[in-house]
Amino acid sequence: MMTTFSIKRVNAIFVKDWKDLQRNSYVLFTLALPLFFAAWLGRIGADSAEMIAFPIVFALVIAGAFVQAAMVAEEKEKNTLRGLLLSPASVTEVFVGKSLLSGVMTLVVVAGCIWLAEFTVPSLPMFALSIVIALIFFLAIGTLLGLLSRTVMETSIIGMPVMLIFGMSSMFKSMITNEAILTVMDYLPNELLMNIWVGLENGAAVGESFLILTVWAVVSVAATVIVYRKRRMD
Amino acid sequence: MENIIEVNSLVKSFGDKLALKDVDFNVRKGETIGFLGPSGSGKTTTIKILTAQLAATAGDVRVFGEPVHLLKDPARMKKIGILTDNSGLYDRLTVQDNLALYADLYDVGKERIRNVLEMVSLTDEERTPVKKLSKGMKQRVTLARAILHKPALLFLDEPTSALDPTTTKHIHEGLRELNREGTTIFLTTHDMNEAEALCDRVAFLHDGEIKLLDTPQNLRTMSGSPSISLLLKDKTTVTVEPDESGAAAISGYMASGNLLTIHSNEPTLGDLFVQLTGRNL
Repeated sequence: MMTTFSIKRVNAIFVKDWKDLQRNSYVLFTLALPLFFAAWLGRIGADSAEMIAFPIVFALVIAGAFVQAAMVAEEKEKNTLRGLLLSPASVTEVFVGKSLLSGVMTLVVVAGCIWLAEFTVPSLPMFALSIVIALIFFLAIGTLLGLLSRTVMETSIIGMPVMLIFGMSSMFKSMITNEAILTVMDYLPNELLMNIWVGLENGAAVGESFLILTVWAVVSVAATVIVYRKRRMD
Repeated sequence: MENIIEVNSLVKSFGDKLALKDVDFNVRKGETIGFLGPSGSGKTTTIKILTAQLAATAGDVRVFGEPVHLLKDPARMKKIGILTDNSGLYDRLTVQDNLALYADLYDVGKERIRNVLEMVSLTDEERTPVKKLSKGMKQRVTLARAILHKPALLFLDEPTSALDPTTTKHIHEGLRELNREGTTIFLTTHDMNEAEALCDRVAFLHDGEIKLLDTPQNLRTMSGSPSISLLLKDKTTVTVEPDESGAAAISGYMASGNLLTIHSNEPTLGDLFVQLTGRNL
């Protein structure tokens, strides 16, 4: 079977999602949360690297994973995903189209957080690369959560551990004494992002962190594809 | 005549439950075929297999002469339209926005949106958000979406189940027009009037088996010659047999000026279904 990829069909799904987003108060409020948080941190003048970087990671989790999960779950809940998959749009086109809006919105929110939290970007090309790799990871996790949830409401429940582990674990690090747990935490995407940004600032080596972050992105995309294939037939 | 759908020895099971048992049928190009049966008879399962949403457990299913799984290819998908019982719409978007998405996916000009909205009598609701429409109106939007690209083969799962009689009649006219333009229609229904109004052939599906498959006229005459009821001017009803004695009686009532109306007591498809399966539609 010949596999095609149509920009027109991807764009049609993107435009539909964009129109829908403007009327979706739940998603708009969710997207605004990291911005409020960044504005608050900017106002109180937080100065530790973790605190300043936290709104950016939080933006990636909330806007990348949670919004994507809500959008995929709503398509399932309202039986509109079936309609898309029964149209000429391929599975890849549907999920690229859906990820495109979440991705663009996440980048906008990340940029807003950088500005509001007065975060100094250490090296723009490397920083942008780290954001793009992390975005792929969080969008894949969001799609996975959306596929596993039956309703939008369920994404909040299933997504809570994801937010705690991949978004907020750095904040609890000082309370943990178990060495094994701390070692595992060092390999989490949020910790890797912090390492990369601090490393870029200090001129330290960041290659290994980039590599592990890329592995996370590849594994999460693979897991999403596997789950989709297992669940696509009723 | 060319077959658009060919199904041989189709079996579908869900765990221990057999949903379809050795089903065989063909659908000819340009015909409207209806699967008539109660809930749970296997109608929706059949449509899902024919549209590659479900894999068959066994058997050979071909659509447009090719194995059904090839339908996943975008070029082939453009040739079919599907209206299922749970086709979803984007509630927050307008009717126009919902149809515009599918016009782009099927590479159809936006002017076609107005045509299909006229067919389902929804031109006044073009700018209305879907969430403000009634259930029947939503059903009409999903139907408009299914026919937007003038598919060569249209699958309709209970197309008028939520609609009022006037809209149903309007939709039936539109479907007949689409059929005249060359679209082959496969529909499932439990409404015998709909099957009679639209279908060239009807299959009775019961417990995952096709019990009968023929034209509505042939099906109705299967249970023997129907009697004839005569309504007389004094409001009494007389039943006669369709033979010489019946003809003489009718002639007598007509000659005396006492005859008001003549009715053929043909069994309906529903009567025949009950006779055959012991179950109501």
